[in-house]
Amino acid sequence: MASMLQPQIILLKEGTDTSQGKAQLVSNINACTAVADVVRTTLGPRGMDKLIHDDKGSVTISNDGATIMKLLDIVHPAAKILVDIAKSQDSEVGDGTTTVVLLAGEFLKEAKPFVEDGVHPQNLIRSYRTACNLAIEKIKEIAVSIEGKSLEEKKSLLAKCAATTLSSKLIGGEKEFFASMVVDAVIAIGNEDRLNMIGIKKVPGGNMRDSFLVNGVAFKKTFSYAGFEQQPKKFLNPKILLLNIELELKSEKENAEIRLSDPSQYQSIVDAEWNIIYDKLDKCVKSGAKIVLSRLAIGDLATQYFADRDIFCAGRVAEEDLNRVAAAAGGTIQTSVNNIIDEVMGTCEIFEEKQVGNERFNIFSGCPSGRTATIVLRGGADQFIEEAERSLHDAIMIVRRALKNSTVVPGGGAIDMEISRYLRQHARTIAGKSQLFINSYAKALEVIPRQLCDNAGFDATDVLNKLRQKHALPSGEGAPYGVDINTGGIADSFANFVWEPSVVKINAINAATEAACLILSVDETVKNPKSESAQGEAAASAMGGRGRGGGFPGRGRGMRRR
Amino acid sequence: MVFSMKNYGIQSMLKEGHNHLSGLEEAVLKNIDACKQLSTITRTSLGPDGMNKMVINHLDKLFVTNDAATIVNELEVQHPAAKILVLAGKAQQEEIGDGANLTISFAGELLQNAEELIRTGLHPSEIISGYTKAITKTIEVLEELVEKGSENMDVRDKEQVVTRMKAAVASKQYGMEDILSSLIADACIQVSPKNPANFDVDNVRVIKLVGGGLHNCMVIRGMVLKGDAVGSIKHVEKAKVAVFAGGVDSSATETKGTVLIHSAEQLENYAKTEEAKVEELIKAVADSGAKIIVSGGAVGEMALHFCERYKLMVLKISSKFELRRFCRTTGTAALLKLSQPKPDDLGFIDSVSVEEIGGSRVTVVRSEEGGNKVATVVLRGSTDSILDDLERAVDDGVNTYKAMCRDSRMVPGAAATEIELARRLKEFSFKETGLDQYAIAKFAESFELVPRTLAENAGLNPMDIISKLYEKHASGNTKVGVDLRGGDSEDGVCKDVSTMNIWDLHVTKFFALKYAADAACTVLRVDQIIMAKPAGGPARRDKPAGMDED
Repeated sequence: MASMLQPQIILLKEGTDTSQGKAQLVSNINACTAVADVVRTTLGPRGMDKLIHDDKGSVTISNDGATIMKLLDIVHPAAKILVDIAKSQDSEVGDGTTTVVLLAGEFLKEAKPFVEDGVHPQNLIRSYRTACNLAIEKIKEIAVSIEGKSLEEKKSLLAKCAATTLSSKLIGGEKEFFASMVVDAVIAIGNEDRLNMIGIKKVPGGNMRDSFLVNGVAFKKTFSYAGFEQQPKKFLNPKILLLNIELELKSEKENAEIRLSDPSQYQSIVDAEWNIIYDKLDKCVKSGAKIVLSRLAIGDLATQYFADRDIFCAGRVAEEDLNRVAAAAGGTIQTSVNNIIDEVMGTCEIFEEKQVGNERFNIFSGCPSGRTATIVLRGGADQFIEEAERSLHDAIMIVRRALKNSTVVPGGGAIDMEISRYLRQHARTIAGKSQLFINSYAKALEVIPRQLCDNAGFDATDVLNKLRQKHALPSGEGAPYGVDINTGGIADSFANFVWEPSVVKINAINAATEAACLILSVDETVKNPKSESAQGEAAASAMGGRGRGGGFPGRGRGMRRR
Repeated sequence: MVFSMKNYGIQSMLKEGHNHLSGLEEAVLKNIDACKQLSTITRTSLGPDGMNKMVINHLDKLFVTNDAATIVNELEVQHPAAKILVLAGKAQQEEIGDGANLTISFAGELLQNAEELIRTGLHPSEIISGYTKAITKTIEVLEELVEKGSENMDVRDKEQVVTRMKAAVASKQYGMEDILSSLIADACIQVSPKNPANFDVDNVRVIKLVGGGLHNCMVIRGMVLKGDAVGSIKHVEKAKVAVFAGGVDSSATETKGTVLIHSAEQLENYAKTEEAKVEELIKAVADSGAKIIVSGGAVGEMALHFCERYKLMVLKISSKFELRRFCRTTGTAALLKLSQPKPDDLGFIDSVSVEEIGGSRVTVVRSEEGGNKVATVVLRGSTDSILDDLERAVDDGVNTYKAMCRDSRMVPGAAATEIELARRLKEFSFKETGLDQYAIAKFAESFELVPRTLAENAGLNPMDIISKLYEKHASGNTKVGVDLRGGDSEDGVCKDVSTMNIWDLHVTKFFALKYAADAACTVLRVDQIIMAKPAGGPARRDKPAGMDED
């Protein structure tokens, strides 16, 4: 529309941004490598943490790949894919999120020179997919099954897996302590396998070693009214009543109105209200319950009423805690106090209120169904406990997956080296271009041991060559050798109990390859102008965009900033 | 800009701001140019080795795909002539559900060749008549190319279905077509009704769950709902089910009302009566034999309490469409209000259970025997974009199934048909008298687009391959096509498709070519464009920077 006399062809809407060709692909790769570089240094036991200060002013310290990726708030469309795979790894296996981003970044980096040299991306993609399938088969082949072992044996094996995960985290120093705690918790919830049945409670203060596992439910004492002190704080085998109603003097219904023609009736109405609440309380007491928990408020009248009758009560219990108590104690949550039957009441062996740090905790232990566990975490700063919680979450997920799939592979970069060797060997049998591509895929896998060394301050080249030599031994005895983080040399990861569930590796390699192939397969980006409805959002994100620009050097040239 | 125009000719008759273009140079060639640009965008996505496009639409949603229908849909094409191509693509997508890219690319190629003819001096009307003759001939030849014996097929035989579906799926997800097409075939066969022509694509559902990989994908007879069950009962087998579309709660008046209480007894009994009423309703449902209550709206706390008491599983499905499908799967009649259902209204479910797939909780509703009404393909992949793309591949596959239920004839794929068409049309053109001959020859040439693009996209040498293909076809083997996998070995590029088992549905090709030819002719027929000034609305001139780049 620049000039009427010589009309230009306007194929697309004004403001549409297109970019295509090799340059576009290379810029996408650059963006992804930049993202991978951000998380690179967090890998492994000697990885460093990241401090992220978001636009709301809250501070997070983490070395969990998924957490970092989420908080980075990436806008580049290609780099977003990396965030997606980190999330997917997080939801599928829970750990290995840094690995997956790093691998995807490395695959792309290796592909870049080929693309620049004019290789058609489809050739690369095909070879990468082949390599991925080979790698996964190899993992399955090497993996050691823990099926059929006794419970004790299994426990110690699972603890090793958990310890491997935890060693890369902030709480790595106490990994044995936490590993056994996590395994106990996961075994406690049994086959039910509902993650929300494991609660993690954080209490600042004390040190990590003061953390403990409750075989049941624990939650912080709720807000209480006068009279609470008189209530007994310890019960053996009490009946537990779980409610979802308010035990308070209140208007019965919002849309009800009382109109009186006779003032003498006024007192009777007041009495009626009291009757209603007394009636409710009476029913609770009659049910024989010794502990009354409610999701909604339990007022001071009720508190005193219960205190008089040696009953413990807690109002405003968080819903997930209440659900957990229901599952553990075997009761159901009641929305009415009428017609309470024994069946809906729960029970547990011991209930007590305990002091933990400067908080008081209500602890239910020895529950009949036993399908819940709560970990009470102690530690210094808030951020520290937050990170500890994330680490434990990873460890819990790992143990769950290991329990389900029950095969493990050696960690510490050993498995990556072994696959790399296997692929290199395989590549030699291929005629044609894909030999090169599979070789570079194999090389990309070596990034894991290399980064482990780099992060620990070892000479990566040196260690890597030692590893290659070991893995190349014809007898195959060198297969489990990985980086020894303690000495700076190499060691048998399997013998040192550096174990990972095989599903973590399989999923990581699969997801990283998928993402790399997806990015390689894009040759054109078309960005439409935002519509009216999205305009408001656009303004908001543009503000954020400027802030992010600084920390994001590799933004693709293809995308125009608006 | 508009105001600086001198008013003369037709411009003076129209309202200010009209855009008027006419003549060969201004209208026809410009139109062709625009269409060419569009088809250049989609062309690189053609075939199994086609590249993906990243499209960010006006709502900031990211698409990574090589499905032409999706690309042109999200591109928001503005040019009127290019829009005709888009519409042709859409028509193909709606008619068959696959082959939209062939339509657009082929139309673009036809127009490009027409441009050459126009430049050599042919009049568009001659080209049109040539093209029309050519397409009629093409359709005749296409009939002849149909593989013998393919017109009869058993749409419940998985192997036959997979053969016909594979090429369509492979063009979207190359390298995964074996797994995907067998999944899709399974799902389609399960829901195929007695009369296959009545197959409804809506009965194959897709649910996308992030995590895992393609090898974790599966087909479930029945439905998969995202989200957890409402109550604490998570698993029920072989049970009757009642559906309440309006929600499960104590009834409340729509009109705002106030309850007037006159005495103390009334106040005391108020809550009790309400509670009793809910209990009565839930009890009535439980008495009817139902074990599962499905609610289309909110589930009240009080109602939930009694459902738990009577051991009823409660599911919430807020989407009306999903609820309707659920009713179809289970054979339930949805009731509007919470009340005692009649025995006829109850449906039956083999099992309902809440399962965890890749970190997210889903409710799996299985009905194995009851009815083969709905099947769900559970897709797994590591990113949302991959999942979306897989979903489109599944959609294409399901649509192909629908097409093959109507017409199961197939033609050789992998560009074998196109080369054969090109060869025969060329021969045909020599017999024509008059200027049509040139147009028909160009039409024939346009078919080379398919093998050329397939080869280009795969990183092979196109000219080499096309000449080889012609040579093979001339020697009588009409089923030789491009083998993309044989790229590494030198002579393996051209192969007989029947050995590779790549087949396209006749009906897909038929419509794709027909729509493309129609669209091309429509574009050629235009010699004047008159664009009215866009009425009212917000001014579009606030982004001058965007225009400079276009």
